[in-house]
Amino acid sequence: MVALRLTRSARPAVQLRRLLVAAASAGTGFLLLSCLGYALNHPGSASAAALRLAWCTVPLAATGYLALAVARTDPGARPRPGLSAVGLGPARLMAVSALTTALSCSLGSLLALLVFLHLRGDLTGMPFDGAAADVLAAGRHLPGPATLTLLALPPAVASAAVALALRPKDPGPATPAHRTYGRFGAFGHSVARETFGTCARFGARLARRPTPADEPTSLGRSEGLRQSAGGRTAGAAPVGADGTPSAPGSATGIQPPGTPAPAGATGLQPPSAPAPGSATGPTPPPPGSAGTPAPDADWSDLTAKPPREAPAGLPWGIALLASGLTAQAYADRSSLGVLAGWLLTTTGLVLAAPGLTHVCGWLLQSTRPGALRLLAGRVLMTEATRIGRPLGVVCAVASAGFAMTTLYTGSAPAFGPLTTFGTLLVAGCTVATLVTAAVETRQCRAGTTAALLRLGAPATLLRMAVAIRAAALLAFFGPLTLGVAALAALPVTR
Amino acid sequence: MEAPPDNDVLWARSLHFRHPDGSPGLAGVALAVRDGEIVAVTGPRGSGKTTLLRCLSGLVPVRHGEVWFNSTPLHTLGPMRREQLRRERFSWIDPAPALVPELNAWENVALPLMLRGVGRRRAKVAALEWLVRLDVGDKCRNRPHALQQAERQRVSIARALATAPTILFADEPTAPLHRGDRTQVLRTLTSAARSHGITVVLATHDPETAAQADRSVHLLDGRSVRTLHLPDVPDTEGRVAWSLSV
Repeated sequence: MVALRLTRSARPAVQLRRLLVAAASAGTGFLLLSCLGYALNHPGSASAAALRLAWCTVPLAATGYLALAVARTDPGARPRPGLSAVGLGPARLMAVSALTTALSCSLGSLLALLVFLHLRGDLTGMPFDGAAADVLAAGRHLPGPATLTLLALPPAVASAAVALALRPKDPGPATPAHRTYGRFGAFGHSVARETFGTCARFGARLARRPTPADEPTSLGRSEGLRQSAGGRTAGAAPVGADGTPSAPGSATGIQPPGTPAPAGATGLQPPSAPAPGSATGPTPPPPGSAGTPAPDADWSDLTAKPPREAPAGLPWGIALLASGLTAQAYADRSSLGVLAGWLLTTTGLVLAAPGLTHVCGWLLQSTRPGALRLLAGRVLMTEATRIGRPLGVVCAVASAGFAMTTLYTGSAPAFGPLTTFGTLLVAGCTVATLVTAAVETRQCRAGTTAALLRLGAPATLLRMAVAIRAAALLAFFGPLTLGVAALAALPVTR
Repeated sequence: MEAPPDNDVLWARSLHFRHPDGSPGLAGVALAVRDGEIVAVTGPRGSGKTTLLRCLSGLVPVRHGEVWFNSTPLHTLGPMRREQLRRERFSWIDPAPALVPELNAWENVALPLMLRGVGRRRAKVAALEWLVRLDVGDKCRNRPHALQQAERQRVSIARALATAPTILFADEPTAPLHRGDRTQVLRTLTSAARSHGITVVLATHDPETAAQADRSVHLLDGRSVRTLHLPDVPDTEGRVAWSLSV
């Protein structure tokens, strides 16, 4: 009931986004039912029907992606203090969010069923003089369980994706902000050592948990940071205490590898500094002294979370993109190689897009920026992952569409109505996801925008910054998309 | 010697404000702030301190009553003009440091200068000077999330002071800090304002903070009152006798 109340009392923009999800789900459901109709009408050709069903995963995935983006922007399912106080915490809100998604997707599925039955002529006779009779298996009996299973697919996929993505995660202990360069094998640090190329390895940043050996490292490093920062700390410090003033660069806390490391577990712990246990004793130390340098928890407020540095997927994305294009160039036209090449290209584009967005922002704010370019570029750099992912998907879909139209113009199997419908559905879903991601960005930055307006920043400047960001992305990703599409279509057209 | 009344840089007369939901905000506040003065607006939570500051700084339109800044009627100005006034004459310090998380410390401080049209190089020089003065000069290249709360608040104070505003509105600038940090932040703020002749309107509920100001204006339930706290009751013999009897 709470989900219904929260769903009902939302603003028109939110309802519009939910209607978009419902429409996407309706389209996907209709495509799935069309596959069923084809299979009913051609019982002999099972493989062709299975192929059609397999192609339906693309709109299904697009629908799930859109539903996820909409659920992320849903203000009704955002953790709020008032609801958390009465017991509607993040876990229940996740359930509410999944339920809302299931509701809108089920609405769409119902719509799809109605349209399907209407087109088959089950409700009010055949419309359009039976033009769609072949695809929809007009004269045959429609099996109920199969229909229900197919129609339950979009809500199930979307709800599962939403529940999985929005499940409450405890803010764990603070991860050390910087990497360690320990002695070889000292206290098991050989596991956590940075080897060449780790920075670009896929997943290298995802599953990084602080090991127990990391804790004293972060303590010691913060000690050094304090020492180099203010010189107000009590106790001797190895870094900078031997008379060498710390360079500004050492404020980042990374000890240069050439520096002789003093004795200690990780090479950074000062021998005379208080042990972590005594420093974080029961009595809180006075402010300004070498107190509890390691924070106890990570950022619990996700809006205050420090912005991630450059997205790491750029090298992988470019490598995948290049290999995909190569695979397409050397594959036969009607083989699986083309499909594999397309998959590689798409994955590469999606992986590389956040990094490319980051590069875009970096270019915007480089070379002595004023307030406008500074705001535009830095925000783009910070929001690179959030904006870049859907942008990469849009680019992939656009280049695929461009290449497909190049391939199929004038050739034998022209676009059928269902193919056109599916293509439009996928394109619409991805564009809607991109717009929703932009809305999410605006929601996340609402506090900063309000502070800027309090400061007296003109609203036109903020709008100009948004326009510049959009123009830069368009100028960067438009030619990229066209180039990828042209390269992908090159081996066929020559 | 009492300063002449035309020395006032900001004054309000019979200021009434009602929040959009109908709850009462201010009920007839009169206030006059002289040039270069540090005025503390005190009162308990919910007494309308922040609302008064928002009215005075032109963040919200004033419908009933008058607010004058240097013989400019703020209550008649449109939103664009008020925004320009806020940008060029006023500064604002939030209770929590509302820095732009994407910019580092010196860029945050230089941002209002650049918004005023100052060139990047001059803005950077001024920002670095103010950061050094406020004892965060060594962290000028850190992003806000890499600073501690007190350092962030000092950066936001530097951002408010760097533009050399005519009036600085500080809304509980020391609220989220511990006592040691609080004293330091407040002392730097007041000394910088005094040495640069900046008028400060400081909202606080802390009597110790209000003691740093030249003058205090007490608010209670949206009205300006002479004495916020009742005077201490002198020790009567009855109380002594009663306490002895227990």
